[in-house]
Amino acid sequence: MNDKRELLRHTVATLAYRGGKAISNAPPDFKDFRVAADSRTPGEILAHIGDLLDWALSIAVGKQTWHNSTPLPWEDESARFFAALQAFDSYLASDQPLNAPVEKLFQAPIADALTHVGQIAMLRRIAGGPIKGENYFKAEIESGRVGADQSSRRTEFD
Amino acid sequence: MTTEDKRALLGHFLAALAYRTQKALRDAPASFGSFRVEDGVRTPAELVRHMTSVLGYARTHFIGGNYWPEALSTFDEEIIRFHEMLGTLAQHLRNGDVLLDGMTEERLLQGPFSDAMTHAGQLALLRRLAGAPVPPENFIVAEIRPDRLGRDQAEPVSPDKVWPEAPKNN
Repeated sequence: MNDKRELLRHTVATLAYRGGKAISNAPPDFKDFRVAADSRTPGEILAHIGDLLDWALSIAVGKQTWHNSTPLPWEDESARFFAALQAFDSYLASDQPLNAPVEKLFQAPIADALTHVGQIAMLRRIAGGPIKGENYFKAEIESGRVGADQSSRRTEFD
Repeated sequence: MTTEDKRALLGHFLAALAYRTQKALRDAPASFGSFRVEDGVRTPAELVRHMTSVLGYARTHFIGGNYWPEALSTFDEEIIRFHEMLGTLAQHLRNGDVLLDGMTEERLLQGPFSDAMTHAGQLALLRRLAGAPVPPENFIVAEIRPDRLGRDQAEPVSPDKVWPEAPKNN
């Protein structure tokens, strides 16, 4: 495997871990929480993250496509998030060629998704259901572990 | 994986962080630094200081010690210090400096580097909530370069021409 490709997989695993934390145990109705008239709801942001991950895979396979999806119910959209991560990671883990530089995949869909995870975390706080802080340095983040089942051994703080 | 390859990608990460942070800050209203959307939520100035803090924490794994940046008197100074920290950290990567105490490139990425990236997204959200949103763009064609870590970042190559959240006078 390309050396940089493996570090991109670790970034995808980081996105799964951090994203999973931001979307799990959300307050009721958080999906539709709109902090301002012209700002996205968490449900819209999470759907956009799913679109970004689908886009990333399409770039990787060499058939770039973009689709704006309609937000699903929160649990379904969360499941889509992890499924999209799994699909992209599986491609990265394969011997199939990567049809774009790793740097481009990182700087566009994956970095974008990380920024949106930060936005969901901020909206959690504004909505009155903040997530705990964590020393992510110590988090058990492993390349290939991109599903909802993330490590529960965490160094968290209020 | 070779350390050089890992560090090159981490350097690109820092460049993407510089680009996205500047996108969120460029041409912001004068009062943006102190915009507080709600009690308990960081202002943009506090966010930028926190981003400097987590990157400074990453740097301690090259040089040892602790890093607790004090609050500076202006938002502008906070932004300048943030970009200086990006440059310093990138130089450690380029130099091939040894990571202390068993630290790894992967943990730098999953910890402080990703932390800072999530906060860049929060700055963009606050721009929108402050009534001065920035247009989306296609980041895959953005001019992001590892040797460009300062405040002077490229303008978007491919900004969205139509975006529903645009200010009414846009």
